Amino acid sequence: MRFMDARPDGRAVVYAHIQADPLVQRATDLLAAATTTQRLLARAVMNGESTDPDRWRTMFPTLFGPMAPAVGDPVRDRSEAVLSVSLEVADRGDQARSQFRGAIVEALTERLLAQRTGPVHRERRILFDGRPAEIHPYDVTVEREAAAEAWDCKWGARGIKGEVIHQLDDARRGAADEGEKLLVGLVVFDARRSCEVRLVRERGPVALDGLRLIALEGLDRLAGRKPA
Amino acid sequence: MSTTVADLVARAQAAFNALSATAEPVSDELQYLADLETVWGARLRAVAEARGAEAAPTGAAAAIEALSAEAAAISDPHRAIDWMSTLPQVALAALGEAA
Repeated sequence: MRFMDARPDGRAVVYAHIQADPLVQRATDLLAAATTTQRLLARAVMNGESTDPDRWRTMFPTLFGPMAPAVGDPVRDRSEAVLSVSLEVADRGDQARSQFRGAIVEALTERLLAQRTGPVHRERRILFDGRPAEIHPYDVTVEREAAAEAWDCKWGARGIKGEVIHQLDDARRGAADEGEKLLVGLVVFDARRSCEVRLVRERGPVALDGLRLIALEGLDRLAGRKPA
Repeated sequence: MSTTVADLVARAQAAFNALSATAEPVSDELQYLADLETVWGARLRAVAEARGAEAAPTGAAAAIEALSAEAAAISDPHRAIDWMSTLPQVALAALGEAA
């Protein structure tokens, strides 16, 4: 089993600009340390219609209401910062926000994984002897001997499709054929309940016991800690 | 009379149903819509059955109202599908429930 960089194509060149945007980095910094409810706020706002911050504050009383931490408390400040950065993403327009959201989920996955293990890489292909190489790269890989991992990242449960599941499972079986272990999984910035129903419908003949699912409520597991 | 958890679950369910109607034109996702209706409907009903008579937590009524208004503003069917996952989670958080 070998890892290698993906061949750059037009999409990758454009996407690299999105990945390098400071907005992606700021969102990643905040979401890496966020609670589950703060991440839910980010998902709702980045996918929402309203750009009125007060509407969102009203929608999340546990973050901004009278029983929430007071202004000046670090948790409250992070809630405000998550709201602000999420509104910036939402304000980029439909097409751009979709690219930003994808880039944020990937960067967040990379960041959280790096808190547990490494080395962590982005956009890498995995090659096996005697097997045709998949053209599509894996979003985030951990290239650690005897404990390698390959993750595909999705903004929403609808991104879970049969071909993605198949590719991950194929890599896992390829590694097993070479006597190596490769943990494969999906990181989805969406509710676990929604991801599970999607996964079951889309899996086809693939057995799911070899596939890890990390949904919005469990993102901290990537970093090896319990959800906040 | 104070607003109960059951009142707010019913309001959230109505907003969820409206999203489902908005999402319906995406014909190749009808199975997924049905699955979301099944699992989230069951989760919301479970909250209503367990805590329905309780007074709603502080801020929850306004939260569900704002959430319903946001859902009603969504006209794109694809975004409506995404919101069918997000709305119940936000409603549950406002009610002090885990997803």
